[in-house]
Amino acid sequence: MLGWRRIGDGVRGFGELEAVVMHRVWEHDSPVTVRELFDELRRERAIAYTTVMSTMDNLHRKGWLDRVKEGKAYRYAATASREEYSARLMREALVGGGDTEAVLNHFVAQMKGDESEVLRAVVERLAREPEELR
Amino acid sequence: MIAALVVFGYAVLVAWLLPAVLTPLTESGSGARLGIAVWLTGMTSVLVSAGVAVALLIRSAVTGWSRFAEALCRSVAGTSCTPVVYRSALYELGLAAAALIATMAGLMLTWRYGRRVQQARRSTRAHAEAARITGRSDTPGVPEAARGVVVLDAVQPAAYCVPGRPGTIVVTSGALAVLEPRQLGAVLAHERAHLSGRHHLLTGLTRCLAAVFPAVPMFRHGSGEVSRLAEMSADDAAARRAGRRPLIEALLAIGTGAAIAGEPGAGEPGAALAVAGYAVAARVHRLLDPPRRARRVRLALVLTSVLAVLPVVSGLVFALAAAA
Repeated sequence: MLGWRRIGDGVRGFGELEAVVMHRVWEHDSPVTVRELFDELRRERAIAYTTVMSTMDNLHRKGWLDRVKEGKAYRYAATASREEYSARLMREALVGGGDTEAVLNHFVAQMKGDESEVLRAVVERLAREPEELR
Repeated sequence: MIAALVVFGYAVLVAWLLPAVLTPLTESGSGARLGIAVWLTGMTSVLVSAGVAVALLIRSAVTGWSRFAEALCRSVAGTSCTPVVYRSALYELGLAAAALIATMAGLMLTWRYGRRVQQARRSTRAHAEAARITGRSDTPGVPEAARGVVVLDAVQPAAYCVPGRPGTIVVTSGALAVLEPRQLGAVLAHERAHLSGRHHLLTGLTRCLAAVFPAVPMFRHGSGEVSRLAEMSADDAAARRAGRRPLIEALLAIGTGAAIAGEPGAGEPGAALAVAGYAVAARVHRLLDPPRRARRVRLALVLTSVLAVLPVVSGLVFALAAAA
């Protein structure tokens, strides 16, 4: 459902705008039209109506936005909430969904085994010798 | 035929025995980059040896083919179809079949490997783009130190980097909550070291190798060791940049999910420590108690010798086998 496997072919440069548009859509509780979003965005930045339209069309094609025809225009809504996307990303990154883990470099990886005693000792040592290793 | 078998035997020997020699040498993570180079050389030796073995097999099949044709001609002529001629023809036929099978297997494995690497690259790119769209960056609420970093809203403290052009560093809001600015600096230095050192190429390629050849110890252990050593190498870079103590504190904080305060007694990491992992403990210990200088130099010397000797030995084996 939350498919972003097709996203890889997106045009770079649109990436930033896609993020801006998605965040706007998420902020709305109900589906929005291109016109409504364009009116909001042009108050903050120089932007063309067609740019907003093609960005939203891209996001729809990639599975981020759902749309329903209403009169002559489409109303767009996010296919999933931002929280759902964050959770899915976290799952993919931490558990390693598919092959992605093969190329993600974690700050702290491989949560296996239990060496809590060892780490507890380290924390105590750091607390005892605050100036060490400065 | 014998030559191909000898070289193949050598590949098997290296693939099964060398990991046992290398593991104790790179265990401490002293000279992490040298360790990575040695493991990669070991893996390359196995791959090249297997390739040379297949090439030698093809060569003997090709050179033997004229004899096979000759035997076939004679038997068709009907004058001299002796058992000797028969056996020779069968042998050449078997050799050709073996060469064909080995070539096909080699091609298939190469193709599977290539597809796996490509898949990993594609899903990584998709992940990076999804993270950039979903996360926040350079907005109010994101600390100054984390500029240019994608912040994902998630309770779980985590930080990682996704390679690509440009590379993306992802930090969760949970991580920002438990990290002090200096500790965050250490985390970012660590991730930047991964990106600038192109560690994803090393770990990605070796993990795909391990996935394609799960039964070969050289690839199975090697991929884990390369990942571990890449972490340690990034730790070294981060420690040089941000200091050892902030880095250790950051490792503990993210590893345990609890804030480790710089001030004694202020942190209460007790219960959350249970989730911390093996890799974290090893890395923390390495930073706390680096091996003594004499041991470091000794390890570096041994690793360098392996690095120099292995290709020479491999080359000698190939040359001798080809000449035989």
